[in-house]
Amino acid sequence: MIGILNPAGAAALLAVGVLVALHLFGRRRRAIPVSTLFLWRQIPAQPLHRRRFRPDLLFLAQLAVLLALIGGYLHPYLQTLAPEADRMRLLVVLDASASMQAREPGGTRFELARRRARALVGQLLGGDEVMVVVAADRVHVALRWSADHARAEGRLEELEPLDTPTDLAPAVALALGEQHARPETAVVVLTDLPRDAAGVPPDALAAVDWVQIGATDDNVAVAALVVDTPPFQSVREATATVVIRNYGHVARRVTLATTVDDVPWTRRELTVPPRGSEHVLLTEPPAAGALVVTIDAGDALALDDRAVGWIDAGPSLDVAVVTDADAFGATLATVAAALPGARVERVTPARWDAGDAAAARAVVFDGVDAARPRAVPALYVAPPSASTTCPSERAVEDAAVVDWDGDHPALGALRGLEGIVVPRAAVLVPRAGDARLVLAATARGAFPFLIAGERDGRRVACLAARPGPSTDDVPLLLLVLSTLHWLEGGDAHGALAVQTGVPVSLPAGTATDEHDPGLRVAGDPAIVVAERIGFQRLGERVVAANLFDDRESDIGRSGAREWAPSMRVESRRPGAPAAREFGRALYAAGVLLLAAEWMLWRRRSAP
Amino acid sequence: MRLDELERLDGLALHVRRGMGERPGERRFPGRPQASGIEVESHVAYAPGDDLRHLDWNALGRLDTLLVRRFTAEREVVVHLLLDASASMGVPPRDGKLAVACDLALALGYLALVANDALRLTVLASDGPAASPVLRQRRSVAHLATLLDAVHARGAVALGAALTRHAREHAAPGVAIVVSDFMFEPPALEKGLLALRARRYEVLLLHVVGRGELEPERHFGAGVLADVESGETHPVALTRTTLARYGDLLRAHLDAVAAVAARCQAVYARLPSDGSVRDFVAIELPRLGVVRRR
Repeated sequence: MIGILNPAGAAALLAVGVLVALHLFGRRRRAIPVSTLFLWRQIPAQPLHRRRFRPDLLFLAQLAVLLALIGGYLHPYLQTLAPEADRMRLLVVLDASASMQAREPGGTRFELARRRARALVGQLLGGDEVMVVVAADRVHVALRWSADHARAEGRLEELEPLDTPTDLAPAVALALGEQHARPETAVVVLTDLPRDAAGVPPDALAAVDWVQIGATDDNVAVAALVVDTPPFQSVREATATVVIRNYGHVARRVTLATTVDDVPWTRRELTVPPRGSEHVLLTEPPAAGALVVTIDAGDALALDDRAVGWIDAGPSLDVAVVTDADAFGATLATVAAALPGARVERVTPARWDAGDAAAARAVVFDGVDAARPRAVPALYVAPPSASTTCPSERAVEDAAVVDWDGDHPALGALRGLEGIVVPRAAVLVPRAGDARLVLAATARGAFPFLIAGERDGRRVACLAARPGPSTDDVPLLLLVLSTLHWLEGGDAHGALAVQTGVPVSLPAGTATDEHDPGLRVAGDPAIVVAERIGFQRLGERVVAANLFDDRESDIGRSGAREWAPSMRVESRRPGAPAAREFGRALYAAGVLLLAAEWMLWRRRSAP
Repeated sequence: MRLDELERLDGLALHVRRGMGERPGERRFPGRPQASGIEVESHVAYAPGDDLRHLDWNALGRLDTLLVRRFTAEREVVVHLLLDASASMGVPPRDGKLAVACDLALALGYLALVANDALRLTVLASDGPAASPVLRQRRSVAHLATLLDAVHARGAVALGAALTRHAREHAAPGVAIVVSDFMFEPPALEKGLLALRARRYEVLLLHVVGRGELEPERHFGAGVLADVESGETHPVALTRTTLARYGDLLRAHLDAVAAVAARCQAVYARLPSDGSVRDFVAIELPRLGVVRRR
């Protein structure tokens, strides 16, 4: 079977048309000297442009040269067809996770794996089928079963490793399923992980050729970056905590450099012990904006030598407190006095209902319910039991917070919520779609303490108790401020911090129509998964994606090794003839034909 | 041709029947007895004034008649090599007709000089005939070769008129060997041949035909034919019909040239440009009686 490796080279066949055109043009222009015309004149003259093209020997020689050169450029190969009964199927599982970008002698681990895969495909005979499955954070079938080996090699060449962690189990399970369906299938897994990381029982891998690639442990990584921006505080109050981890077996000295919006922030020399970490706290950032942390490790895996984050200049506190009592409003006003640019307006329910209140970014209903809700995010503190927005069952006493959803932006980076103890609280009744952010409990059981949701397209939060002026209520007051920060849309500012390969729910209303190719966005409500580290554009928002995966950064292996299965591709056909490319032979033939054509031309033009 | 190749022709000589020259030489012309010589050919009655040394005293004693011995004429023959150097001899270039013609002229000139004949090379060119001095003896072969090396095909030559002019300028009889491709209308040739014959020349027409003229499809497939002498053009595409027609016309032309030669009592021989000059001289010309073994 003959195939070609460079089908795009067929465009060079246009040169044949050019050659024909040149000959046709030359035929009309060519004057042939003859000794006399008195014989020819007795033959009627014939218009040459109407005459059918008749190739002469020189044209045929030139055509042969051209076709030989074009043929060589196509990289043709000759492949022997395997007997029907002896045909096999090769399924290659290729690990394309971040750790495969680690440099080893001879190239990156991914390049070594790909080279190995191409060699395996090259050993197949005509009629054998091949399938390529790429495993990273998800399974991707790069090539379905195909007997076109050139296409398989081309597809392998197009693959690039991602910046995501590995999940080999689905890919291996898929391969085993194919092998179960067609026992002649040979499965080869090319990864830098050992076989016990397959995520499937070891017995199931008995017929799998597991090739582990890579050995170096030379990697120092930015293992974590946490940016802490207190709500309603100035940018100068923000801090960043960087964790540098050395995954190698020797101590490493690195230089940590950070910039915010391209403004240098800090630069530090660090010595990280073997298999150890260094925590660095960065304070007083020079500005708000994109935070980039880099280390000049010069190690095998450059991917995790850089991390990105965002220092956000969030909104200032701007709330209206609708209350009959003045205590809570006064507490908030006291807090606002300490916050830059903060504004707290206290209004009575009557004034609020009359519309006699200045516009604010959020409103707090303290023990009251709004008769006429406005399109403003609202926090209902200790809502009355008759509230339609935040209904409650009853009141309980001596309640304490026992659990909370730390990933929700309304809670931000709050810690120590277990210190919230209230003498009296309303047992909130969540409505459909509401999220229970904080749970509290009494001796009689747990109940929602803080719930968040949407009413008519506006954010709403319901808090079961109001903080008092006591210092004991500071944690609850912080919870109120954090919730107000979320209500004012503080989470919509700055970048969305994600880890590559980890799905993250997008806030409602996030535009997802346009995004950078390093992101995958799907679902409703939308989920985003970053495949590349760094800043990515997602509609109007910026996504700050980092690896932060110990298993990927910990690239050290006990050494490249293989677990041979009971059936191996190489041993099945020892010395099996691979596809033989004969492009060079065509080039050589082209050169010889060129010499012959030159002699022919000399002979024709020689006197 | 190289000298060592020419030496292979040493056993051959031109067979001359006519064209007896005026100067004494080594060529014997039986049938034309003369008063002195070596070989007795006949006797004639004595007339006053005859040289008494040639009186046949034996005949006088036996027959009592005065008879004078007559001898076979031995004269020099001047061989005129008339080489057509018109531009047509240079095309098709691949055929090398002029080179073949020069080789042929050299070979025949060699035969003449080796046989102690006199030789004159006349190159018929567009700017008029260029005649060399008369060459004699074998040592002139190199000079002849030099003269032939300097010949280039150029211009147009009216061969018939050129032959007429040559006959007028060289009135003494001799052997005229005309080497040409005869690519013109045959009637134009006839006048020249008759002029030579009128001067009692023995005429030999050697026709060098290019292979590209015999088989034009080897030369081109289609194109605008350009007459190398007149510059006129004629577009032609070689189809099967065209080739057949051309073949007929060429055969008719060759036959017409041969017919003109026959009418003028000239010997006519044809040499394809890719043929062997040596074989032509050693085989074809003896077959025609032009060359014989010495």
